Amino acid sequence: MIGHRLRFETKHATEFVDITDRLRDLMTSAGLTMGRVHLQSLHTTLGLAVNENEPLLLHDFEALLERLAPTGSGYQHDDFARRLDIAMDEPVNGHAHCRQLLLTGFATLLVEDGELVLGRWQSVFAVELDGPRHREVAVQLDGEFTNKPVGDHRKEGAANLVELELTRQLMVDPEPVALPMRRLVEAGGKRLRPRLVQLTAGIGPRNEPLRAASLAAAVELLHNATLIHDDYVDESTHRRGRPTVAAAEGPERAVAVGDYYFAKATRLIAEIGNGGVTLTIAEALEAICASQIDDVALRGAFPGDHDSYLRVVRGKTAALFAAACASGALLSEAPPEVVDALRRYGVLLGVAFQMADDMVDFSPSSGKPIGLDIRQRVLSLPLIYAAEDRTVGPEVRRLLAGVLDDEAVSRVAELVTSSDALRRVRDEATELVEAAVHELETVELDGLRPTLIGLARSAVDRDS
Amino acid sequence: MSPPAQVIDRDLERLEGLWDDGLADAFRAYMRAVTGYATATQPKLALAAALVEVGVRLQGLGGRAAAPPTLLMGDLCLARSSRLLADAAPQSVQVAFARAIEEMSSAAASGRPAPHTRKLLLQAVADD
Repeated sequence: MIGHRLRFETKHATEFVDITDRLRDLMTSAGLTMGRVHLQSLHTTLGLAVNENEPLLLHDFEALLERLAPTGSGYQHDDFARRLDIAMDEPVNGHAHCRQLLLTGFATLLVEDGELVLGRWQSVFAVELDGPRHREVAVQLDGEFTNKPVGDHRKEGAANLVELELTRQLMVDPEPVALPMRRLVEAGGKRLRPRLVQLTAGIGPRNEPLRAASLAAAVELLHNATLIHDDYVDESTHRRGRPTVAAAEGPERAVAVGDYYFAKATRLIAEIGNGGVTLTIAEALEAICASQIDDVALRGAFPGDHDSYLRVVRGKTAALFAAACASGALLSEAPPEVVDALRRYGVLLGVAFQMADDMVDFSPSSGKPIGLDIRQRVLSLPLIYAAEDRTVGPEVRRLLAGVLDDEAVSRVAELVTSSDALRRVRDEATELVEAAVHELETVELDGLRPTLIGLARSAVDRDS
Repeated sequence: MSPPAQVIDRDLERLEGLWDDGLADAFRAYMRAVTGYATATQPKLALAAALVEVGVRLQGLGGRAAAPPTLLMGDLCLARSSRLLADAAPQSVQVAFARAIEEMSSAAASGRPAPHTRKLLLQAVADD
């Protein structure tokens, strides 16, 4: 049995949020082959429904709900003079509660052969009845699991192509540089950037999976090259559960390996022979390096502020996400408006991803030691928000200004967790993801919109 | 000493302090080697080569690793060079530059004697 929370922001008072693709992604990544997906709304004004996702029909449903439980038609629940213990921000929402009674707060979907059992026209909706709000749906996956994600074989094949290309490239390199990089690559990583390259490389008219895999592998090598230098700069001892190159083999080797793969990746990209792609990646690399300098400079004013955080993260993380999206689309010769929309999607996704990454530092289920960012004085939005907090802020600031021994790190982590900081970061990340999704609404993406939406949401909705 | 007019501000942004710290000399040396390219391309190519030369020196490639802030300046030099090449250089020159850095860093990782940086980069700009 696997438990999960789907989190999202709604934008309208009444809204049908199609969560089918998110459920599919969840099921696929968990490897559920045969069983059930149980859903439960965690709100009294959020319903669940299985129906057809046809825009006019959704308007009909909305009109039906309005007819059956009209807004403001004298609900006793809205008569605050007669109620006890009402919150300061209690909404007038008797109609929303009544509408929820007409829907359901629970649903169970069947899974067979790694696929959700849904009819051709069936989609799964979370139905907002009192928005806009932050919402959560509890999900449990129950049944038989494989160790390997199931479902989309095309996706699996594409991922394999990148892994093969990475292996091939690392086989031909001199051992003193290849060995440390091989250890880093084989230790895992989410491979989000190559995945974005491959997905967007399927959008335009020139769809060539081998070229896309070559570009995707080069982008992953470039990302790993920057991590090798980062780890030396941050004095990190471990990455992906293994010693960093600097820690294992010394800073001199780390500098050389980082440089080698920076050069090799730029060469592989140049050899693809698409000037737009080469320039896009080169500009991203420049932004990454410039923001690394800012990041280190800001450690003097640790934990910094929201604006500085955004400026650094846009370069340090989001630039390569954006370049991955744009370069794939450029490779496939997608129209300029599509490339631009994907670039904006990538920036927003990258910032949201970094925020989610910051939260992992405070998650006991992440498998990583809690408080690593605190110890290394790495720019982190939960820390910035905790330092601003009226209740815990003074103590957080005092601790961060002193020596960060185990006790101090543990106390700061405790203060961050007890404050509103993590909720604020999660809300902000979720808003950014929704903004990223919005960027995809006006362009033609050759059927890839649901996958890109699912990828954006799952990148933020994670524990590790 | 100010950079010549052919070098635009954007190309030296954040790296201005390096101009008098070896970048100007290297730039002039490479300018003499790129006369076969279009006039507008020459300063970009020469600056790209000079940035690689200064960048790997700052990083301490092949010697003692630089302190983190200096390493990051070196990284920015290499990234800027890469962007200049993507902007202005033919594909063959982009590839030749990358191969030159691969050779230098591979030697450094293997503990082999470092190849002569300027010689490698002069060869790279001459490759087209």
